[in-house]
Order: sequence, then structure tokens, then C-alpha cells
Amino acid sequence: MRLPRFPTLRAVNNSIPRRLLALAAASTLVLAACGDDEESDPTDAGGGTTAEPSDTTTDDPGTTVAEPGTTMGGDTTMGGDTTMGGDTTMGPDTTMGGDTTTPGSTGGTVALEGGSVSVSGSSTVEPISVRVGELALEESGGDLQATVEGPGTGDGFELFCGGETDISDASRPIDEEEIAACEEAGVEYVELEVAIDGLTVLTSPDNADVTCLDVPALYALLGPESEGVTEWSAASELAGTVGSEYVDQLPEAPLDIFGPGQESGTYDTMVEFLGDPIEAQEQEETLRADYTSSARDAEIVAGVEGSSSSLGWVGYAFFVGEGDALKAIEIDGGDGCVAPTEETIADGSYSFSRSLFIYVNTAKAEENPAVASYVDLYLSDAGLATVSDAGYVDLPADRIEAARQAWADR
Amino acid sequence: MRGVFLGAALTAVVLSALILYTLFKGTFDFFRAIEWDFATLADSGWYPRSSRFDLRTIVIGSIVVSLIAMLVAVPLGLGTAIYLAEYASRRVRRIVKPIVEVLAGMPSVAVGFFAVYVIAPDLVSRVFDPRQPKNMLVAGLGIGLLVIPIMASVCEDALAAVPGSLREASYGVGAKKVTTVFQVVLPAAVSGIVAAFIISASRAIGETMVATMAAGAVDTAVYKGFSPLEPGMTMTAAMTNAVGGSDQAAAEAPFKVLFFVGFLLFMVTLLLNTIGDRYVQRVRQKY
Amino acid sequence: MALATPALGGRTAGDVVRANLTKSQRDVPGLLALIALLTSVLVTILVLFTLIGTILVDAVPFLRDRGGSFVTRTIGSNPDVIGLWPGLYGSFIIGLGVIVIAFPLGIAAAVYLEEYAKPTRFTRFVQINIRNLAGVPAVVYGVLGFTIFAGWLGGLTGGKTVIAAALTLAVLVLPIVMITSMEAIRAVPQGIRDAGYGVGASRWETIRDHVLSYAAPGILTGTVLSLARALGEAAPLIVVGALAGGVGLLPETSLDGKFTALPMLIYGWSGQPTDADNRWQFSNSAAAASVILLALVLFFNFAAILLRNRYERTRTGS
Repeated sequence: MRLPRFPTLRAVNNSIPRRLLALAAASTLVLAACGDDEESDPTDAGGGTTAEPSDTTTDDPGTTVAEPGTTMGGDTTMGGDTTMGGDTTMGPDTTMGGDTTTPGSTGGTVALEGGSVSVSGSSTVEPISVRVGELALEESGGDLQATVEGPGTGDGFELFCGGETDISDASRPIDEEEIAACEEAGVEYVELEVAIDGLTVLTSPDNADVTCLDVPALYALLGPESEGVTEWSAASELAGTVGSEYVDQLPEAPLDIFGPGQESGTYDTMVEFLGDPIEAQEQEETLRADYTSSARDAEIVAGVEGSSSSLGWVGYAFFVGEGDALKAIEIDGGDGCVAPTEETIADGSYSFSRSLFIYVNTAKAEENPAVASYVDLYLSDAGLATVSDAGYVDLPADRIEAARQAWADR
Repeated sequence: MRGVFLGAALTAVVLSALILYTLFKGTFDFFRAIEWDFATLADSGWYPRSSRFDLRTIVIGSIVVSLIAMLVAVPLGLGTAIYLAEYASRRVRRIVKPIVEVLAGMPSVAVGFFAVYVIAPDLVSRVFDPRQPKNMLVAGLGIGLLVIPIMASVCEDALAAVPGSLREASYGVGAKKVTTVFQVVLPAAVSGIVAAFIISASRAIGETMVATMAAGAVDTAVYKGFSPLEPGMTMTAAMTNAVGGSDQAAAEAPFKVLFFVGFLLFMVTLLLNTIGDRYVQRVRQKY
Repeated sequence: MALATPALGGRTAGDVVRANLTKSQRDVPGLLALIALLTSVLVTILVLFTLIGTILVDAVPFLRDRGGSFVTRTIGSNPDVIGLWPGLYGSFIIGLGVIVIAFPLGIAAAVYLEEYAKPTRFTRFVQINIRNLAGVPAVVYGVLGFTIFAGWLGGLTGGKTVIAAALTLAVLVLPIVMITSMEAIRAVPQGIRDAGYGVGASRWETIRDHVLSYAAPGILTGTVLSLARALGEAAPLIVVGALAGGVGLLPETSLDGKFTALPMLIYGWSGQPTDADNRWQFSNSAAAASVILLALVLFFNFAAILLRNRYERTRTGS
């Protein structure tokens, strides 16, 4: 069994001994006022050394070797117990993660140039770009340094077309306004598809009535006309009007919505998927405004988990990471209910599949070899292996080839 | 030499002027960005990117969170102050006072961490079973912790300022300790305690990180009224969320609202601090 | 003396008074009050201990396991391998900025206001100004820093960089440094100054050698406390554009690029989803970063408290 994450009652069973331990630990700390110095010592020691990325032997992002079975139960508490009563943990060197994706398994090793690369954009793509960045840091011995952040696809393009970033992550293709902005600023770029994502519509596992929805029903829950709807069932009438076959699936329960905001490509994708009913109802291409939005996917996921009748949507990776704490609502795109899985997303039978992209500023790639190196690594086998590690679905071989070709032809 | 020192002192004035200028200018830009359409300031819910800036949502958020914080901080802070000033022996004082001061130096992110990982799941969720684990009550309790030491130290100063002769007179006519403390010393220190209350309230309203991390609403907030068990957004959290790690909208209303809310926050805390200061001065003049 | 005593059930008035003074009485309101007061003190202490304890329980095993690599590595996607080096670097520069900018400016202003300024309306205005500045919420200073240090002075600071952040926090603690230094200088007895003038020292020499050296412990206490405050602030950093910990990546630590700081890492790491494949979670790294930040802040706080106690002893001791 997997323990739910923090917002739920994680610590019910063990919190009392845990608190006691906490108290004991705290008293020692506070009474021996300088006890903290022990912890701050490594700080001082580290002051002189520069950040060295790895011992290069066994550490990549990826699956851990260290007892996955035992860590499952909730490391915080377990860890607490072990250390308090005698330390059984391994030495720092042996525990550093460790990995199964051997760097050698690439189709030819990439020669990496040192330098710095700045990546911004989609928070959905961010986990991939971060992992590639970590790989680059390691493979180059710390010379190739990529700074990655994820304010959202729209915000990312704003920076990208302003020439402030080298690479922009995007969970949707660049739109016309953004193309115009880039053109005006003289920023030329190449679009590279890097992964497939299934936009995953989520609810709490407690929300048993809702298992499958179609686009009209989602329109009735999330579309511009749904504003002010605070109960699932209150959307029934509208759902019926726009032709949903799942009207009776909507329970009489509060509708707590969590999702990305308008800066996000994942928001735009949802608008796009709801395009038919939006057009049929002659509405503007937006969603309702009155829900809790966040640029941080972790907050969305926490919100959906927190409420027993929630509704939310995120990239597939943020759902698979959460296991039983979340339930993905199946989507009926016309051919029956399909749940998002790696297979259904890859073969497109899950109708909310979409591509994830990176946009590379070609001028910057020209003048800064580090940018080119980073993209080379991104598109190498080792780089693309991070896609599934991050929780997304690998591109089929022909589309990988197309991306590599597009990059080579830049 | 004098000129150098004068220059240093003038930086304070320059700073105040810069703060005011920044906030005024930004507020003006914000109003221009929303085209002086004040209706957007009263449209239900806080959805900056949809150009809906319902002040009621975040003002009520701030009020609810600060009220809860004060409910925690006033009794605990005042109680601690009375104990330290009137009851504690020298030795107890020497132990307790530094502990309270440690709490005063606690970084607010650490309290935010505590609110998210302990107050929310282990206290609020278990006792009240709210719809969302992060809500205004959690944030209020966390901020309350941060305000306790401020309340305690200003109150203690006020109590210490009450002349010993008052206590001696009270004992002299045969009053008990409890009578002396609660009917002689406390009334004499009342303006100082009012000052502590006001200064604490100002701190609670201005506290940002705990509200950002634990109050529940993130980039947008649905208007949920005064219920403390609902997720909400404070004015301070609205400011940090307006920045949201990106400057994409730097020229637009969803970003510029940062200045407007900052301006409101500045005015509210300035007003409270000025009133609080008055009361502090009154204590000084009286004794 | 044979005074007629009123009938008191065979006892004299003296007996009654004596009994009232000596017999053990149950002072119920007094007891209740004491219990209430003690409860509030204990609850306060207990909460503080729980807070520190929770953080330690999450952090200590993690720190033991990760050891020095948690300090020297950079942030990233996997708590098993990430570190907080960029945060330490950012906080170090911010601390340096506070020491270099806020301390001298604040002390100089205090010297002017206490030693040079006549009690004019202008002086009073400046003093009120400083008090008001001390009450301005930290996040508003962030707005100031964003506009002035990252905007107007962007040419000097490089925009939204750690230098802009250091300036912002220096300005944030400036009024605190001023106020505490003023109080310390005000506490210097007039006799100390007179002694200086008496041996023919100039005003500046008197201030430098007599007033400031006498006030030094008090000034130091205030400045050290303000340094602790600056290291713990996160809100202004968000506004100035610091990167939060979490899923991002920041391998470089530079004065002119993206930056972060310890409190920003705690903010970003708190609330990240758990990953069952990992040995450690972001909650552990957040707790560990909190322990290191707390250690720094508490170190400065204790230093300040010790200084003050010593100062009080030497002043009252003789």
C-alpha cells in the first residue's frame, strides 16, 4: 500500500511517537544551544569547494537501487526512527541514487561543450529538461550548465521571443501571436518534438461516481459557461444541452476545481480539446475563471488529492507519480472510455494526447556551443531516456528521427 | 564627518520616498492597465489573469487569517509576558526569555514548512476535517506562532514600565498578588498592551510566506467568505503570486496588481503602526 | 492597656489579624491565574520545541545519509542527489550585502541622529520615518527592490540578480540597524562624552573613541539580529525574482545570473509531490535546508543574546 501524501492524514498512526521523538530531539537542541553547529559545519567546509556535480560512478537520475520496498512506507517517519536509535543507514557514497540508464547505451556518445544554457517555459516539460540538464552537468564533468525553470508555456515564449532564454519548453505549439512577437524581435527558432503527454483529468479516488467523461461533460464542468457551478450535478443541464452521454455520472457533490492558469500550455490544451462545444455554443476560447489555478503542478495535485470531490487536470507525469492518491477520469473521445496509460497515449487512442516540444533559438545555438550541445544531448538516446523517467511517453522512432532531422537542418 | 552622517540619516527619508513613489507609480500603471474600470475590483473572486481583481476576496482573506493569528498570539503572548514580568523568578526568566526570543528569530519559511507538514495534517485536518488540508485556519495558526514573541516582548516592556511603587502600594493595602497583577498593574499598562496588540496585528497582516505556503489558494482564489476552513488568499500571498516566478506579464495588469496590493498593504500597516506608536509614546510619557 | 475588645467569639482582634495573615488560605483566583499564565508559557515553549523537533526528525537522517554532498551539489529533480549549494551561495552574498551596506549606513545614521542632530522638527520627522520603515511588510520591500534595484539600477546589478536581492534585504534591515544603534548610543552616559571633550578631543574623535566603543556591544547586538532577519526572509526574494527550489535546475552560482537563497529552497521544496522510487523526498530536503537555515539564524540570535547579556553584566556589575 502506498501512503497518501502530506495533505491527508499521513501521520495518524505514528504521529505520537514521532512527536515525542521530536520533543526529545528538540530539547537537546535548544538546551544545548550550540548543538546546531554540528549541522552548520559542513556549510563552512563547503564554502571553499565549488559545486562538483558527481562522483561520476553511479549517479544519474533514474530508478534507485536502494531498497525500494522499504522506502515506500514513508521515509520521514522510518528514517526518524532509525537514526534516533542508532544509525543503520549507509554511508553517503553508496546511497547516491544509482541508475539503470547507462550513459553508454546511447547511439553514439555526444561530445559536450562547456558553457551555460538557459531554459524556461512549460512546467509540464520542465521535468524532462531538468533531467537532461542534470545529465549534461554530469556527462560534461560540470562544464555544461543548464538553468531550467517552469513558469508556463506562455510566459516562457514571452521570455524566449524577448531573447532572454536560449530554449523554451512548450506543452503546445507556438501560437500566432507568439510567432509574430518572435519575428518582430528577430528571434529565429527550430521546433523539436520531444515527448508525448496525455492531458490527464483527475479526481479524488473517493469520488466513486465519476469514472468516465466525454468532451461535452467536461465543457459543462470547465468551459466558460460553467462559471458559478459549484456542484458536479449542477452541470448536468448544460452537459445535456451540449450533447453529453454522461449526464447521470455527475454526482451531487461539491465541485472543487484545481488546474493550471492561463500562462500554461496545459490550460491552452484543455481549451483546444473543448474546442467543438466552445464553437457550437459560440463562446470565447477560454475556460471558466473561477477555480484555483497554479503554475506549480505540485499545488494542483495536492489540491485534487485534498478534496473528496475534486476535479483537476495536469500532464500525465504528475499523475503517474502519485499512484493511488489520485484517480484519472477516463475520456470518451467518441469510441468509448479510454484511460490514460503509456500505451493508449502512445497510440493516440487516448484522445487527450498531445506533443511536448522544445523551441531552440537557432542564433544562440550558433554562437553558444553549449546550447547546441545541450540540444544534441536532449535528442540523443540517453537524453530521450529521461522522457519516460520523468513520467511521459516516448516518441515513436520515426518522430524521433524527424526531430533529429529538424535539428540537423536548422 | 557630520555631512556623511547626515547623508546616512537621509537615506531613511529617501527610502520612504522611493517606496511611496514606487507604489504610487505602480498603482497608477495598474489602473491604467485595467483602463480605470473599477468594476474589476469588485468582480467575485481573485483571478488576475482573467482581469478580475476582487479586493473583497483578498481583504477578507487577510482579515480572517490575521484574526486567527491574533486569537493564538494574544492570549499566549500576553500570558507569557505577564508570567515573565510579574511571576517568574530570575532563574526561570533566564531560561524562558531566550526561548521566546528564539521563536522571534524563527524564519517564516520554517514556520510555513511546519504549517504544511504538521499543523495541516496533524492538527487542523484531524480536528476539523476541512475540505482542503491547506486553508486559512492553518495559515492563521502558523502566523499566530510568529506573532507570539512580538506580542510577548511589547507587553513585557509595557508591564516593566509600570513603576514598582504601584505594586507596593497595592500590597500595602493588603491586596493579593493576583489582585495586584490583574487590577493594578494590567490597567496601568493598558496602553502598552493596546500598542502590542496593534503592532502584532500589523505584523500578522504583513506576514507573507506562511500565507503563501499554507493558506490554500495559489495563483487564483475563489471567494468563499469568512469561513476559516476554506482555502483563501491574503493580500500578501496575492503579491507573491502576482510575481509567480516569471515576469511575463510585467507590463500588464496581472503583474501590476502587485503594486496596488502593496500600496494597500503599506497604508494599512502604516496606519496600524502609527496608532501603535502613539500608544507606546503614551506609556513613555505616563511614567 | 485595657481596651474593651469587641465580641469576636472569644478571640481578640489581634488573633483575627494574626490568623488572617498566617493561616494557609486557598487563594483560588490566584491559583487559577497562575495556572493560566503557566499554561500559556508552556504552550509557547512546547510549540517551539515541536516545530524544531519535527524539522529535526525529517532532516537528521537525511543529512546523515547525504552528508557533505547535500551541501556541495546543486538543486534538481531527485532529492536523493540534489544539494543546496546555490542557496548557500545566495544567502552568503545577501549576508555580505547586509554587512557591507546596512551596517555602516545604519550606524552612521544613528550617530547623526543621536550625536549631531538638534531636536528640530526635521530630526523628529526623520526618526518617525525610520520607525515607520521598520514596520513596512517585507514583501513591500520586495516591490521596492524589483523596481529600483532590479529595474532602475539594472545596469549596475544586472537586473534580477543576487546583487539586487542583497541590496533589497540590506535596505529591509536598515531601519532595524538604525533603531537599535540609536538606542545603544542613547544609553551612553553623558560623562563618557564629557571625558572625551575634557582631554581636548574633537567631536568626531570623542564619538569614535568614546561613544562608539562604549555603545559597541549594543550596536553589535542589533546588527547581528538584523543579519539573522535578512537571512531568513523569503518574500522579498520572490518578488525580486529568485528561483524557488523544486523541479528547476540551477547549476551556476553567479553574481549576474539567476539566483536562489536558502529560504527560497525551503519554500520551493515544501509541498513537492512524493516519489515512491526515491529514497528521500523533497520534504526531507526542505527540512534539512530548514535545519541549516535555523542553525545559521539561531547562531546569530544566540550570539546577539550572549552579547547583550555580557553587556548588561558589565554595565550593571561595577
